[in-house]
Amino acid sequence: MTMTTPSTATPILEADHLRKHFPVRQFRPFAKPQVVHAVEDISLALVPGRALALVGESGSGKTTVARMLARLYEPTAGVIRFRGRPVTASRRAALLEYRHHVQMVFQDPFSSLNPVHSVRYHLGRVLRLHGRAHTRDEETAQILALLGKVSLTPAEQFIEKYPHQLSGGQRQRVSIARALAAGPEVLLADEPVSMLDVSIRLGVLNLLLRLKREERLAVLFITHDIASARYFAEETLIMYAGQSVESGPSDAVIQQPKHPYTQLLISAAPDPDRPATAKPLPARGEIPSLVTPPTGCRFHPRCPHAMPVCRERFPGRTELGNGHWTHCFLYGEGNDAPEGPATTHS
Amino acid sequence: MTRRPILDVKHLCVDYLAEDGVVHAVDDVSLTLRRGEILGLAGESGSGKSTMAYAITRLLRPPAEITGGEVLYDGRARANGEMTPSVGPVDILRLKPAQLRAVRWSEIAIVFQSAMNALNPTMTVGTQVLDVLATHRPEMPKPERNARARALFEMVGIAAERLKSYPHELSGGMRQRATIAIALALSPELIIMDEPTTALDVVVQREILTELMRLRERLDLSIIFITHDLSLLLEIADTVAIMYAGRVVESTSAHALHRQPRHPYSFGMLHSFPSLRGEQRLMTGIPGSPPDLRAVPAGCAFHPRCPLVYAPCSQVVPALMTMPTDSAAITDSGEQSVACHRYDPARSEGKPLPTATEMEDGYATLSSAFQEAGKA
Repeated sequence: MTMTTPSTATPILEADHLRKHFPVRQFRPFAKPQVVHAVEDISLALVPGRALALVGESGSGKTTVARMLARLYEPTAGVIRFRGRPVTASRRAALLEYRHHVQMVFQDPFSSLNPVHSVRYHLGRVLRLHGRAHTRDEETAQILALLGKVSLTPAEQFIEKYPHQLSGGQRQRVSIARALAAGPEVLLADEPVSMLDVSIRLGVLNLLLRLKREERLAVLFITHDIASARYFAEETLIMYAGQSVESGPSDAVIQQPKHPYTQLLISAAPDPDRPATAKPLPARGEIPSLVTPPTGCRFHPRCPHAMPVCRERFPGRTELGNGHWTHCFLYGEGNDAPEGPATTHS
Repeated sequence: MTRRPILDVKHLCVDYLAEDGVVHAVDDVSLTLRRGEILGLAGESGSGKSTMAYAITRLLRPPAEITGGEVLYDGRARANGEMTPSVGPVDILRLKPAQLRAVRWSEIAIVFQSAMNALNPTMTVGTQVLDVLATHRPEMPKPERNARARALFEMVGIAAERLKSYPHELSGGMRQRATIAIALALSPELIIMDEPTTALDVVVQREILTELMRLRERLDLSIIFITHDLSLLLEIADTVAIMYAGRVVESTSAHALHRQPRHPYSFGMLHSFPSLRGEQRLMTGIPGSPPDLRAVPAGCAFHPRCPLVYAPCSQVVPALMTMPTDSAAITDSGEQSVACHRYDPARSEGKPLPTATEMEDGYATLSSAFQEAGKA
């Protein structure tokens, strides 16, 4: 198995060498077709009761990965495996069955709830679609239980409310309850707290932590805030311009970052406890265009340690021990060649 | 060394006249910004921090109304003695339209939150810089204006050729740099920055902040920096004022705030940001949510979420009081002011000053109480 999870538990949802290219709409009939190389070769595994944080800047492809895992996008290449079985392009019924197991929470609770429908409708619809409630009484009881689970109480009051009557934090709790209504084993949370006020963020994060523990959910936690990745997730995967650059146990990645991009990201994060001697690393350049991405390692134009080889090909994965790995020539060639066929190594 | 204040806001009140009554968006706020310093204004959405920015520059429009207070601005010309030095600070709220035009932009500039909306998408950024110069400095010859525009762009770290670009051709970071360049166009002394880096990625945010710190040294700028990101303010600001529901609850030097937040809300906010270092532990945050300004709780607006709440909190609005700092190390921008009854000897009812452990334990009990109340 290529995935390195320090825990002994088997992953429930895995992605192997996922790739997504979006065609660019063009109006010149004879021009060469162009694509946005949104995600190149991402592999990850989600384990019940544990969280993996996907960290990167805007445009790094984190949301595209989540949307492929939720099967909202069809991957251009690569395999998604649920409980070890490949998930393939499928009919509606099979998709519904898949979504019964894998649910997503979106970033913006102001636009992910329908303003003309009540909380009862939002949750009841999911329960009915997934055949978890057949009568109205059953449905009400389940909705109340779900609202209790996300600490929206008294639940009897919230059930008839409309989104505009709720605060941002409460809306996000409704979105989480909606995802839970399907009874999923995997939760894909796309920046679940970044639109919320600072003082209520932690409440929602702690709710997700509790659900992860109590419901044994496997959580993919997408964030741009590396500090909350450390707080929430056991493992962290750093992405840059569609490529994975480094991953491992969150503490290892954040305290001993190896890849120059991870180092840049961490030195740029606000940190009042940073010793005065630690100067922020100078950054240069910007996130590249994904239509014509730099060859090789996409970070090389901004990398202070760039070598000629960085331009030529993307480095393979170098294991650093304890489940910590990086894609960087500074630490070796790596042995998991991403361009060739997926090689397995023990 | 105490530097003279450049801006002294005294008892400022701003109301929004809503259909169903009056909303006190800013309620009796006093702030002091010393020359050459960065004053951080922190708070959640609805705490009145942006309204403050608009009130100081008098950009508020109905239904907002400034109902009281003073904004005393002591500009450079006066400090240099070039203009009548005896006049002293002017109250921006009482300036006539012509005087206000003279102060805005050339003395006080503002950088708005979303660079995307602050720039006109139909004009090149260069035109927008030149526009400012043409309007405010009509006597300046055209080549000089062009040179100034180029110099401004280079100052904020954008290549001068980019003056020919339209806003959509620039990245988010460059757009924000362009708005900073436009704000600097008339060499103001005071810049108000309303969440200037909130929409940006951390790496870009850090670049812009570094640039800003450099500019501040070079141009001797005084800055009011508004953000909800308290951990960022602790790094860059000299003094920090924390707002909650339209009032300042704590105002102190960034150093003192980091070392010892006094107000339970500041304490809770500071402990709401997961840290990059140190031991991992479960954090509780602040239970509940910020109040609706149409129905602010009586007494201290924070009392329903406060771990230290006791009888007077729901009855009397606490005043912002100066308290002595207990460490000799912080003397320069020294005083720590806090609006909490527990620090007021007249109202503390014999309770000792709150300690960090008391607040931390209080928050833990309080959030489980909130959850219990939920389950009931």
